[in-house]
This record gives sequence, structure tokens and C-alpha cells, in this order.
Amino acid sequence: MTEQRIGTDEWVEQHEARLATQSELRELVYGFGEQLPLWGRLGLLLLIGLFVPVLTSNPFHIRIAATIALMATLGVGLNVVVGYAGLLDLGFVAFYGIGAYAYAYLSSDFTGVHLPTLLTIPLITVLGAVVGFLLGLPSLRLVGDYLAIVTLAFGQIFVQLMTSLTRVDLSWVPFLTTDGPVNLTRGPNGIIELDSISIFGFVADTLTENYIIRLVVLILVLLFVHHLNNSRLGRAWRAMREDELAAEAMGMPTRLLKLQAFAIGAAIAALAGTLFAAEQKAVFPANFDVTLLITLYGVVVLGGLGSLPGVLLGAVIMIAVPEILRDIELASLLFYVGSVVALIGLIKPRRLVGLLLLNVAIIGLLVQVIAESIWPDSLAELPSVASVFPEFSVSIRFVTAIIDSLPEIVTSIVRNWLAIPVGNQELIGNIALAILIVLILIASRIKQTTQLLITLVPTMYLLALVWEIRLSGQESVTRLIFVGVVLIVLMIYRPHGLLGTQRIEIV
Amino acid sequence: MSAQLELKHINKNFGGLRVINDLSFVAQPGQITSLIGPNGAGKTTLLNLISGIYQPDDGDILFDGVSIVGLEPHEITQRGIARTFQTLRLFLNMSIIENVMSASFSRAQMNLIDIVFRTPRFRREEQRLRNEAEEKLGFFGSRLVGYRFDQPAYSLSYANRRRLEIARAMMTNPKILLLDEPAAGMNPNETLEVTALIGQLRDEAGYTIILIEHDMSVVGGISDHVIVLDHGEKIAEGDFEDVVTDERVVEAYLGRKSS
Repeated sequence: MTEQRIGTDEWVEQHEARLATQSELRELVYGFGEQLPLWGRLGLLLLIGLFVPVLTSNPFHIRIAATIALMATLGVGLNVVVGYAGLLDLGFVAFYGIGAYAYAYLSSDFTGVHLPTLLTIPLITVLGAVVGFLLGLPSLRLVGDYLAIVTLAFGQIFVQLMTSLTRVDLSWVPFLTTDGPVNLTRGPNGIIELDSISIFGFVADTLTENYIIRLVVLILVLLFVHHLNNSRLGRAWRAMREDELAAEAMGMPTRLLKLQAFAIGAAIAALAGTLFAAEQKAVFPANFDVTLLITLYGVVVLGGLGSLPGVLLGAVIMIAVPEILRDIELASLLFYVGSVVALIGLIKPRRLVGLLLLNVAIIGLLVQVIAESIWPDSLAELPSVASVFPEFSVSIRFVTAIIDSLPEIVTSIVRNWLAIPVGNQELIGNIALAILIVLILIASRIKQTTQLLITLVPTMYLLALVWEIRLSGQESVTRLIFVGVVLIVLMIYRPHGLLGTQRIEIV
Repeated sequence: MSAQLELKHINKNFGGLRVINDLSFVAQPGQITSLIGPNGAGKTTLLNLISGIYQPDDGDILFDGVSIVGLEPHEITQRGIARTFQTLRLFLNMSIIENVMSASFSRAQMNLIDIVFRTPRFRREEQRLRNEAEEKLGFFGSRLVGYRFDQPAYSLSYANRRRLEIARAMMTNPKILLLDEPAAGMNPNETLEVTALIGQLRDEAGYTIILIEHDMSVVGGISDHVIVLDHGEKIAEGDFEDVVTDERVVEAYLGRKSS
């Protein structure tokens, strides 16, 4: 018996069609994921994660993977508070710091306490939950922006305290004999020489061992949060996020639910802090500043609030992309590919993109010819494309060599195509940048396709010129600008995050 | 027959504005008590007072003889008074079945250990609640069942959203249902259907119902008892026929006859 669909009016149909086209990426990931049971998905993640140290022995790569695992764990915790319960908590990093400092106090020569890891980890996790619960209490009456401000202040207070609690008068404490002020945190110098994690005699000294521990913890935390989300607790959190008053009126104790969300998020953060401190073998107040908070929100928002696979993807992008961009040629390749992809998204019908790129190529050659004939010897001499091309041979080695030197080849082709002046690169670059910005502003106002295409030809040329002579040289600045631009573009086209569900708010 | 819900001399002010003025009434179990009155008469405020969203300045509200003044809204709901909203307040980005299941929060017998380790008790409890939610949704015919269970609530049409809100309120296992304009924004056919449905809720499900409605065809068709409010005061009470012919009621709705 086929069930007739009732209640699908035109609007619903249109909306569903929109959803279907917008969520291709989501469908791709979820379509694959849904065929696997939960343990299968987590097992796959573990397998992929374990493969990293097999594939590469480069400590730099393993460090990136370890950072991703840690940030993903933190992101999952933040996702409980922000994504499910809808509480804008900007003090989240403080719980991470509390976990790290608690580990420092419980396993270092600074206090002389050396508890076994199997004791410290549950202890610190519970401590995180308790502190989260206590911080939640004064925040109960606050919503939205006000909660954000209060929690932000809490995060700042934590960093300040850890920096400045260096001369504390403890003489008022009974049963404690101290001579003079006590240094509680060693200030910006941090607490150093912490113990490594050791479980049943296994001591995690190396980075790889720590990475595997982080991976296992990440998977356990994912399992935990996934189960929470698919229970009465998760339903109530999401109901509260949607409409707090309605949730309360439907019998959900919203105050208690908020406290629980705070506590669980804080417990996960404290656990992550433990792993961080144990690997770094030291804690400093600067580890827990606003930069980390912003990155963390980047992870959660980029992936899509409320989506666990989204947090993983967000962590990979937010951590790996800035690292990849340290390589100038790779960054250049990404820049050009990104520009072309943006064009494909911008121009419809799409076959016009080919026409546009052809025109840009011709313009580039024309500019070079004209510049050479008017001002001879004004253009920089560059190594030819052939010089970076790998030696030809009929073997698999040739293919891998091509792939390896692809960024170099592309950069070389573009640099040979552009008319790059010999001197005054900085001045010319700045002027070109100014013109470029004006052109982009003009292009963004044009609706008619032909006019847009005509404007885009010089825009694309200048874009490449500015990148080559002005931006690509200043790697440290460009990297951040690049990440920022990627985020802006992503959030414009997918405001609900990469794997998030588009949220509808219509009364 | 003892009263299921009794309001005693309720007063409520917003700033200097007196919204509810020394109001008393009783709702008998298994009956439909309708609150009518012009816009701004204080009907929705009264519902907010009963469901604990507002606190009365003065007076007492007794539910089965016990005062519920000062309790939090979720505590009142857990005791057995559920409501719907005039302006729909669904959990729009959750699925239909989740909307309904979420309202069983306080009845779900599971603790954190059950949830995390997916114990047999957890599975049993989830299954029980899901069956119950499906049963409540089944009350509305085939509109909210089957493939619809896992669709997001925002995909529903307006009338179906109203139905879903009633189903969600039913899921809290209430004794009293407070319905705030359940027929608002519905076409004549749907209004007829809602009227029949409210009758069913009383006769088959056995709820005591307090109904706010502007549509007189709904009120007249099913009310056991009608209370007319104007400017926060009760101006008439009784059967629908008695009430609508009352001089003060006609005056409140239509104004004073010029002599």
C-alpha cells in the first residue's frame, strides 16, 4: 500500500528540492555513513587514524594529526554546549585549562604529587564536570549575548589568575606553615616537567603514543556524546535550543538541563586538557587564550553546529589547512584552484567559465608582449617551465614525480604567463591590489552576465599578479588571510556549516 | 463531583495595567470549559498563569485540591497540566516523532548509565516511549504517521503543526489540556475537524479541557461550560446559549446599544 503524502504543499516541495540540491556533500557523507552501524563508523575512524603513523614517520605530520584529534575532542565537547543545548559558552577553554593545570598539580614535582594516570583522568574529568556545574549556576538566568559575555569573562579570569597567582599569601590557612608568599602557578613560566601518561606500566613518552591515546579518547567521547544525543537528554537539549519556553512547558526542567550540558561539556574539555598537558609535559597560561577559543568555534561552526561528523571535518580543515599553507607553492596551487572553483560557483551557465579562462590566458600573453615591446628588459627573467618538469620516463615513478611537482609546475606556468616586473614589485603590487579591490567591488554589483565576464577578465589577471608578486612572498600573513577568506566564502555559501543541517525558523 | 482545577480570586498586573481582576472559576473533570472574550480580555494571560509561566500577584490555583502557585512550569506539567500555544511553539528543527517524544522527558525511566551503555532498560524504555508517541500521533488519522515520523516539524503545514502541538501536549500524560486557540488559522473544514477532535479528546481520552477560542462555532459545538472574560473580569458564566444572549456579553463584543 502506498501512502499518500499529505500536507506537501508547493512551499514544502520547493523547500525539499532546495534541501536536496544544497546537501549533496552531506548526503555523500551520510549516505555512506548510514549504511554502516555506529561501531562500524567509529571503527573506520580508528582505522584511518591508526593509519597515519603507518603512512608517515614525519613527526610534523603526526603532530598535526595529534592536534586534530585533540581539537576534535574539544569540539565534540563544545558541540554539546553550543550545538545541542544552544548555550553560547565563550569560557569553554577555561575548562580545558583547568583540566591541564589539574593534571600538572597531580603529576609533577611542582607539588610533589605523582598520582597514577588511571586515577588522575577520572578525577580531573569529574572535577571538570563539577566546575562546569558551578559556573553554570550563576549563568542560569542569562541567555544569548549575556551568557556569552559572562562566560568570556570567566575564560579571561582563568588566564589572568594562572598568570598572576605567583605570590599568594597563604598564612591564613590553618594547619599550613608557609614562609612568605607562595607561588601557586609559576605565572607565565608555567608548570613544567610533568609526568607522562602511564597505564598499567605502559608509558606514553613519544608523540605517536600520545597520538594514539588521543585517538582512542576521541572515539570514546564521540560514542558517549552520540549516545547522549540519541536519548531523552539529547532530545530535551535540542528542544531547549529550539524553544526554551515550550520545552519548559512540556515538562523539561530547563535549568537542570543547562547545568548538565555545561557539566558534560566541561568534563570533556578537562579530559582533553589532561591529554594536552601530558603530551606537552608542561602547562602555560598562554596555551588557553582567546586564539584557541576562536579556532575551536571555527571547528564547530565550520563543520556544522550539532553535527558530530561535522566537528571531525571542521577539526581537520581548521588545523590541517593552515599547516599545508606553509608551503608557498602548495598554497599557490590551492589559491588558483580555489579561484577557479569560485568562478564555477559564481558564473552560470558553467561553460562560460572556460571561455572566461581562455580570455584571461590570452590577455596575459598580450600584456606580456606589449610590456616587452614598450619597455624592453623590464620583465623578470624566470626559469622556464621545462626546468621544473620532471624528466620523462615511462614508469610509475614519472606519474608520482608529476604529482609531487604539480604545485611547482602550476606556479611556474603562471609566473611565466604573467608579466612580472623586475624592480618596484612592492609598489606595483600595492597599486594592483588597490585596483583589484575596486574591480571586485564592481564585479559584485554587476548582475548582467556579459558585463560580469568582461569585468572578471582583468580581475582574474590582477588576482594572479597580486598573489604572485605581493602575497605569496609573505607566507605568515597570507596564510591567515587565506584561511579567513576560505572561512568567509564557506560561511556565505553554507551558513549552516559543511555537514550541518540547514535550520529553518519560520513561525 | 470535586473540581479538577479551581482558581480563587486571581489578580495579575503588568506594570500599572490590571490584566486579571479577582477572577475565580472551577473546571470540572471530564468537561470542556471554554474561555471566550474580546481581544485583550486576558484569556492567554490566564492560561500562562495556570501553566506557571506567570505568577499571580494574588490568589490561589488549586489542581486536584493542591495549590500549584509558585511551582515551575515543568513541575506543573509533570503534575498533569499540559498546554498548547496560540503562536505555535514547536521544536521546528527536530523530527515529528522527536517533538512528541521529547515531551515524555520526565516519564522516561533511564539514568545516565542506561543512556551511555545502552542497557536493556534503555532500549525497552525508548521503544515504549516511541510506541506511545506513535499512538498519540495516530490520534490524528493518517496525517502525522508513517513516513512523516522522521520528517522535520518545519515541513508540516500550518494545520498539521497545530495537530502536532496537541499530540506533544498529550505526550506529557496530562489530566488537563489547556488549548489556546487550536482552530486559529484553519479553514472551515479543518475547523470542523478540530471541533470533532476536541470532543474526542474529552470523550475517548478523558481529558479535562480548558479551551480558548474565538470561533463561536467551535465553542458552541462542544463546550460544557463557557466563561466570558472582559478586561480581566468574568462577566458571564454558564451554558453557551445562556452566555451568548447575556446582555453584558453582547455589550463586550458589540458595544452598548445606543438608545
